[in-house]
Amino acid sequence: MKIAGSFNVAAPVELTWRAITDPQVVGACLPGCEEIEAVSPTLYRARIGVKLGPISATFAAEVEVLEEEPPVRVVSVTRGEEGGRASHIRSENTLTLEPADDGGTRVSYEADMTVTGRLAKFGFGVMKKKAQSLAADFAGNLEARLNEAASGG
Amino acid sequence: MEFIRPDSIDAAVAALQAENAACLAGGATLVAMMNADLVAPERLVSLRDVAALRTAMRQPDGSVVIGAMRRHRETAEETDLRDGQRVLSDAAGQIANPPVRNMGTIGGSCAFADPAADYPPALAAADARIALVGAEGRRTLPADAFFVDWYETALEPGELIESVILPPAPAGTAGSYTKLARVAGDFAIASVALVLGMEGDACSHLAVAVGACGPAPVRRRDVETELLGGGLGDSEIRRLTDALADGLDPVDDVRASADYRRRVAPRLVRQAIAEAKQCLSGTQ
Amino acid sequence: MTGASITLKVNGADRPVAAVAPWTTLLTVLRDELGLTGAKRGCNQGVCGACTVTIDGEPVRSCLSLALNCTDCEIATVEGLAPAGSLAPVQQALAEGNALQCGFCTPGILIAAHALLRRNEPLSVDEVRAGLSGNLCRCSGYKKIVEAVVRASEARP
Repeated sequence: MKIAGSFNVAAPVELTWRAITDPQVVGACLPGCEEIEAVSPTLYRARIGVKLGPISATFAAEVEVLEEEPPVRVVSVTRGEEGGRASHIRSENTLTLEPADDGGTRVSYEADMTVTGRLAKFGFGVMKKKAQSLAADFAGNLEARLNEAASGG
Repeated sequence: MEFIRPDSIDAAVAALQAENAACLAGGATLVAMMNADLVAPERLVSLRDVAALRTAMRQPDGSVVIGAMRRHRETAEETDLRDGQRVLSDAAGQIANPPVRNMGTIGGSCAFADPAADYPPALAAADARIALVGAEGRRTLPADAFFVDWYETALEPGELIESVILPPAPAGTAGSYTKLARVAGDFAIASVALVLGMEGDACSHLAVAVGACGPAPVRRRDVETELLGGGLGDSEIRRLTDALADGLDPVDDVRASADYRRRVAPRLVRQAIAEAKQCLSGTQ
Repeated sequence: MTGASITLKVNGADRPVAAVAPWTTLLTVLRDELGLTGAKRGCNQGVCGACTVTIDGEPVRSCLSLALNCTDCEIATVEGLAPAGSLAPVQQALAEGNALQCGFCTPGILIAAHALLRRNEPLSVDEVRAGLSGNLCRCSGYKKIVEAVVRASEARP
């Protein structure tokens, strides 16, 4: 399942890069992210809860940074597993930052996600909508945080 | 997991006041999801023995109150539904297949809120209200406000659906449900619920809800209102389908691509209106 | 989890079952506890129809019915269609019409068809197809099945 999208934030590229590569910022902006820790500069662990109608799942996820090209591009792989419930997710992600015309930053993301186990029995069509809405929420939260920082908050 | 079979609405509501409790209505969806290990409620509250949820009654004002535990088969055969209200029975008769229609209930279907289910657009077009009951008391919501997002409704934890209330449809209106599916009984690729009234050549009542093309049924009341009194010819229908198209947010899935759904939904609207007009002119 | 002790009324007889967990389906009880293996576990999702039985006379999915919800009901399975050693008319019709291949879907088809035939009037091909639309045959032997049920409906007095 491929998910792609982009959003603009008002902050310049350098600032956006710092925020988007800071696990604490990402953890705070990602809906359902219950905890996140940096194991090494290129490895993060997180607990992420997702809910789709009556179905809820909590994943222990690991994000490994494979390539980093500051401040424009980061390639990572996310592996998640649901404790004891035999559902796995794997996602290869590319995040690209570029200056926007208004001095802000255009953030583009692409993810190629596979889901196996019990959750795969549920339709991918709606799962994709859900992933897109999570991405939109993340963008909104990040934007709010950056704006807050820009206004000296 | 606990299993409770209360015999009254009050007892059911009381039993539902627990962490991770779920109502078991017909089981057609919930048990399938339990079998697939997608959900595992800690407490199941079976509504089977709650007789008050199993009735459907036509009120003096012509509205019809359908208990949450009415089976699809019962709703498909419901003689209390008249005129435009028939949109609901037409939809009920197209859900799945006979054994599933013997099990599934209107309350269960609404609570699960599958975006491709048949009841939500029919309820939206019928201007139905959903009656909820919880520990705090009762409230009713219009269908538009009840279906909130993908598989999400306005139901709060500890609340259950008591009934669905269809307001009276103006005399002489026709209600129909037009469903495009890969095979009979499958979930819809796209569907159109319609309540239409014509006085001569003038449109006197119009409600169109598109199903299976977004998280909730799509209606454009503003355009419907503008079209009242007019002829409902090709250009008017085009205005409506263009407006509806703006509100569609279909999924790509095994049944059809999002693009296909966008293309086919306006055609289904045209087909539904043409058929309803023909049906109305035949009865006048 | 020890589960509840219940009594189910199956094919006219009271059948006690011990230690039934809340999530146990009627299908599981019929097959694994009561030895009634006519109803089949196909998809376990209510889609295929191989598990179809009747509850209070109406065909339903036994894989979507929780056993604890089925007390106080009359349950009938394919084993109860006719006394041992004999065939109900619908069974006879399918046998004579060679209307089965692997046979996995047959018990569900028989239950659904039997319910259709209760209307006691000749059925059209379309009526039979609609009535059996919830029963999948993966050998895709639908033509003979439908023909057999139509014939059974015509043969009735």
